[in-house]
Amino acid sequence: MTPRSQTAGKAAWRVRGRVALRVLAVVYLMGVWLDGAGCGIPAAVLPRAANYFVQVSALFPWAAITSIDYRAEGFVCSDGTWMELDTRPYFPIDPEDKENRFNRVMHFFRENRTTMTALDSYLVQSHDSGQHDDGIPRDRAIGGVRLWSLRIPIPAPGDRLERVSRQPLSSYPPEQRKAYYHTPRSRLAERCGRRIEGAD
Amino acid sequence: MGWLLRRFLEWVNEPTPVLRIEIVRIFAPLAILGFMSGRIAHADEWIGDAGFHVPDLGGDWRQPLYIPALPSWAAWTVAAAMVASGLACCLGVRTRASAITFAATLVFVALSDRLETYTVTKLSPAIMLAVASSPAGARLGVESTWKRRKTGKRPKRVRPIGAVRFLQLLVMVMYSASGIAKARGDWLKVPLVLWSHLHDSYQTGLSFALASVLPGWTWTVLQGLVLAFELFAPIWLGLSRTRPWALVFGLSMHTMIGLMFGPVRWLALLMMTLLVAGYLPERLLGPLDALAERLEPVKGRASRRTAGSRPERVHEEGQEDDELPGGDL
Repeated sequence: MTPRSQTAGKAAWRVRGRVALRVLAVVYLMGVWLDGAGCGIPAAVLPRAANYFVQVSALFPWAAITSIDYRAEGFVCSDGTWMELDTRPYFPIDPEDKENRFNRVMHFFRENRTTMTALDSYLVQSHDSGQHDDGIPRDRAIGGVRLWSLRIPIPAPGDRLERVSRQPLSSYPPEQRKAYYHTPRSRLAERCGRRIEGAD
Repeated sequence: MGWLLRRFLEWVNEPTPVLRIEIVRIFAPLAILGFMSGRIAHADEWIGDAGFHVPDLGGDWRQPLYIPALPSWAAWTVAAAMVASGLACCLGVRTRASAITFAATLVFVALSDRLETYTVTKLSPAIMLAVASSPAGARLGVESTWKRRKTGKRPKRVRPIGAVRFLQLLVMVMYSASGIAKARGDWLKVPLVLWSHLHDSYQTGLSFALASVLPGWTWTVLQGLVLAFELFAPIWLGLSRTRPWALVFGLSMHTMIGLMFGPVRWLALLMMTLLVAGYLPERLLGPLDALAERLEPVKGRASRRTAGSRPERVHEEGQEDDELPGGDL
């Protein structure tokens, strides 16, 4: 191959590469736009992993009806009672805001039984390992968890406002709390090593 | 139609200041790494097996691809590669390779962990691939400075850069799609959408203070302005007459978002970077260009300067460097 034909070959590949990149760019931009505009085409034609990367533009389209937070309680085997379990030591990324992984797993998967069961095991093992202070004494084993969503009403303009802060679960009225998951009684009994009455 | 396509291709191939892509190359990795920093500090919990991971849900829509948690050492390796490649790209060291590596780590963490994936995570790979496919690193980079010192060639200041056009379009597309999503959602029906988002854990001291003192109608006015800006962004940013005002509005909007919604500040900084890089008027790029020239010594420049010549003149005499890193989108 002469140097001239080698150069021509390289140039041809460069042109092909440029065309491929431009096609990819157009597909990506169309995907982003169509997805944000609510069109189902990207989801229908793109592989799921690729479609995931075009879902970037639909930001805050809905009004918040309530301010949402998620909490957990642990079932203390020795007392047979539920106590609030602070999940932040076990989810240390962004512990003070809703980008915390516990909030995220509850946000996305609170109705997915497989994930909630895995979360249950993770929290019980984490507490029982006794490595962190989580609001339940380290020497008291827990047999299961109850996972809650808090739905705090949004004030109206002109109302007296208070800075958002974390309050104990028990300080919220029952109508603002909704339980999404609790460890089945049979599992509580298995973990605590005794018959459990009235844990629900 | 043919005319429109021809005009569009002409626009794509029009020369544009190289500084535009350098702004993205320098500041986008910093905004992305800033966003990632909290996660990187807990890499073993984030993508490693030390923390909670959603199990394989076998095709659930919320899990685009199941990637098992990494052993801790591998999680820390990915995190280190992300930091090193992001900083290398920002500094202009092996720019193309570092941008591709950075993009690859971003794709990996986005797919590996749905829980920590946000707009920044999903948007960043495209931005970094655009940087990789451009001549980024030709100016204001460590490597280009060394090369310049050796060869004495000055960098090209203007050239066709498809990646810049891509990023300009990306900004328009993002805003426009976001505006449509808002219009289809509650923004035209509920007057207090903005107000409703001020009362959760994103709240900052400023958002609390403004929510406490501003009357309710101001939030409705701001909501209308944001919606009008986003929905018609292609017009505001497309027309030369409205472009500077759109830039000012966009930068102000993102500044307020960053100050009022704590963790969203990194997305705000990333969008501000894209806005400035894509839409800063060329007359305002001039001072930046002059500053860039000062930071880009060429061979012989220092000795001539000591001889009393004006540096600008020496620079004009330098050859333009055609052997710039990378090709072009």
